[in-house]
Amino acid sequence: MARLMLVRVARLVATLLVVTFLSFIMTSLLPGDPAVAILGQDGVQNEELLRQVQDDLGLNDPIIVRYVNWLGSALSGDLGESYINSGQEVSDVIADRVPVTAQLAVMAIVIALILAIPVGILGAYKQGRWQDKASSAGVQVALSVPNFITGIFLIWFLSVKLDLLPASNWNRISNKGIWANLQTAIMPAMALGLTQAAIFSRLVRSDMVATLKENYVLAARAKGLGDGYILARHALRPSSLSLATIIGINFGALLGGTVVIETLFAIPGLGFRLINAISQRDIMVIQGITVFLAVVYVVINFLVDLFYSVLDPRIRRN
Amino acid sequence: MKQRRFQPLLAIFFVLALLASACGGSDGVVDAVTDAAGDAVDAAGDAVDDAAEAVDDAMDDDDAMDDEEVENEDVAEAGTEAEGDVDTAVEAVDVERQQGGELIIGLEAESVGMRPWEDTCSSPCYNMLATIYDKLMESNSEGGYSPWLLSEISPNDDFTAWTGTLRDGVTFHNGVELTAQTIADSWPIWQEGAQSASAIGASNLAGIEATGDMEVTWTLSQPNSAFPAFLSRAPLGMVFEPGAAADADAFNEAPVGTGAYMMVSRDLDNETVMERNPDYWMMDKNGTQLPYIDSLVFRPIPDEGTRLDAVLSGTTGVAHTLRQGTIRDGRAARDGGADLTMFEFQGNNVGGGMFNVLTPPFDDVRVRRALVHLNPQDQVIEALGGTGISLPGTQWFSPDSPWYSEKVAAAWPQFDFEGGVALLSEYINDPARSDGKAVGEPIEAELSCPPDPTLIAAMQVIEQIWSSTGLITTNLTNYDQQTHIGYALGGDNGFVGSHTTHCWRFSDDEDPSISMNQAFAPPTAEIAEAAGLPGVVSPLNFSNYFDGELFTNLIAATRTSDFEERYALYEAVSLQIAEQTPVWWSGHTATALISDSAVNGVTSWETPDGILGSGMPNAEGRWAQVWLEE
Repeated sequence: MARLMLVRVARLVATLLVVTFLSFIMTSLLPGDPAVAILGQDGVQNEELLRQVQDDLGLNDPIIVRYVNWLGSALSGDLGESYINSGQEVSDVIADRVPVTAQLAVMAIVIALILAIPVGILGAYKQGRWQDKASSAGVQVALSVPNFITGIFLIWFLSVKLDLLPASNWNRISNKGIWANLQTAIMPAMALGLTQAAIFSRLVRSDMVATLKENYVLAARAKGLGDGYILARHALRPSSLSLATIIGINFGALLGGTVVIETLFAIPGLGFRLINAISQRDIMVIQGITVFLAVVYVVINFLVDLFYSVLDPRIRRN
Repeated sequence: MKQRRFQPLLAIFFVLALLASACGGSDGVVDAVTDAAGDAVDAAGDAVDDAAEAVDDAMDDDDAMDDEEVENEDVAEAGTEAEGDVDTAVEAVDVERQQGGELIIGLEAESVGMRPWEDTCSSPCYNMLATIYDKLMESNSEGGYSPWLLSEISPNDDFTAWTGTLRDGVTFHNGVELTAQTIADSWPIWQEGAQSASAIGASNLAGIEATGDMEVTWTLSQPNSAFPAFLSRAPLGMVFEPGAAADADAFNEAPVGTGAYMMVSRDLDNETVMERNPDYWMMDKNGTQLPYIDSLVFRPIPDEGTRLDAVLSGTTGVAHTLRQGTIRDGRAARDGGADLTMFEFQGNNVGGGMFNVLTPPFDDVRVRRALVHLNPQDQVIEALGGTGISLPGTQWFSPDSPWYSEKVAAAWPQFDFEGGVALLSEYINDPARSDGKAVGEPIEAELSCPPDPTLIAAMQVIEQIWSSTGLITTNLTNYDQQTHIGYALGGDNGFVGSHTTHCWRFSDDEDPSISMNQAFAPPTAEIAEAAGLPGVVSPLNFSNYFDGELFTNLIAATRTSDFEERYALYEAVSLQIAEQTPVWWSGHTATALISDSAVNGVTSWETPDGILGSGMPNAEGRWAQVWLEE
């Protein structure tokens, strides 16, 4: 097990190096001059100032030199400072935004599970009957509708028509309490969660269909146990293994995949900051957030791999 | 098999139903999608159809010149107050103002910083800064400038020195008193600031001195009769406490001005909260302490549809917009019964584009005029979603501007397909054509815009007309805003730029000298040398068009304060632009503050001396004099 861990960690480090390098290269190759973005259209009238800003930012250094410098600082926890928002450390930006995006991702997954598990169980239990067909159609709808369309619909329906929830922005728990926070979080979480719910329910249904054909389930039925008891206590748990895996992976994907929803609802999460940074050519922030998201994704995949190995000795042996 | 067929069909039905419910609200809500895609597609479709019809008409109609005359008549009428023009009127109102309350304002974007001398700022940011900082001067309803923190200002005989007196009894948020020395102490900070250093160059400012306790003298290196305009702009006009500004980063977190509001919290990209300055120096004309509203909350809401929905749902009290499509949707919601007030403004800012006149074939005026003749403005405005909102541009100034000229409007080349083809044919059949191609070969044009759906739709309209001539090979490109600016700037090739035909915005509601002088100054060091103007180089001359006579007129307009004289000079400049067409126009940009009906006073603010202000150009409100009705 120790050797396996060592190999996996070595692979993780190599992957992270490649990921950070590629992220750095890609963001550095974005067209546009960060110095122009900093100075603005009026500011570039002063050519000397423009050159000075370019030099200060190291924009005239070879890209490899810039990457090595950046990596050296990043390894010591210094991801640099925003070019545009003066005095703002990139690590502070990430630390400030991660809780918001993470809360959205967690809420989206919770909402998805609340919807997906009953729908998946129902589809498996009533396989081939109208309940299964209806839930499958619903799942296809949820998969087909882009989450920003869902978001727009929710704003129109819950905010404009019913006046139940605020249409935009974010109430922080620290400032306004949990209830006010949930009021701003629920719609974007629902918009994100609907697609997840569709994916999860398909997974639960297909795994549950297989599980319900297992001998021990047939034996439980033969013993006269109730359907509800069998589904909840005997079938659901073994049908949840792949669900647990996909939850982990999708959580990582959600952290980086909330860009559109955060922009639509004006939520100050990682995605919103990333979009602003891209439009402002705030290269240090783009690099910092991109690398952070990549690292989170790689680490979560690594943990899922380890989790598999722990659960299944055959994977460990191979 | 039947089961498999049934499920996708059912799913498609649900998706269509959801999309229909999302996009088809009778009251015009759910605008993000429609604004960003649906409307653009519709508008593009309509406009392209119209463009195709226009081409057909132009080619089929034997009497094309009659059509041109009709177009010209339309424009002449637009010069007064065209149908569908937005109402930019400002007016003094004499009603009782209510005090108190909180107003939440949804802005298009977040402010990158709170330091007027340093941070790049545009309309959303100015809405915030104007609550914290007072300016030395302010723009008024007559198109001029009136004292604000100054009580008076006057020039010397040749406009190389301006002397102003500050008002008594003004204090900063930290209790420091405003004196002439405060302004003098700010000078080193202004010299170093990214924004103010450029403004110093543009205004010819050479130094600031405290020439009395409350008397400040600004010394210029060159005469500038429009210098007060610079004191009404953020970089040199917004007054901050220089002691606090010594630590620029700390100042950004806790800015200190003399304004009606103090910033109490800032959650970047979420909300910035301002609370009334209890010691604010200014009263209204009835002796009531300003500001009226207790607290302002600024929230960046980048999505246009969400921002409008936020007002409709009561999440915010005001939505700021620079988009014609949002104005259209706001009007529709109001007409549908929503409790909205539309504060609209038709500014000078005008869309269109420019030719890089240093790049063949756009160095030849025949090509430029031909392409302007082949610009169907009405269809372009329709594609941009501005029909009934945005007036066709003919010059640097909108019909509502005191600088607007009917003569220039008449001189601007109107859509004329045959005329455009004739000019282009003359060029491509000229053995000495500047682009080096063989006689008869089409010219090549890269038409480039940022990737906004409405801009793309407008490009397609133009491209269709150009291509239908058979004389232009058009290549449409889209680059994000920063790249688009970078290509026009051309920092790597001596500021010549790598653009050819480039979408752009021009003009503003400031004094004409501010935008025109930099737009038509020598674009490169070589051109400046050749013109006998060494060192006078403007990287912001993006079209690279330079003419000695035109620039002389621009400089002359900064050496007189006589309006008639200045007007004549700017008219001459504008006539030359209409003749040489280094730029082309689509429509003037309407902007708006869309509010619930409780919000009052947006267009009726006055200077401390009771002079009516300029309203809300570029959707920039003066929130200290806005009040809420219960």
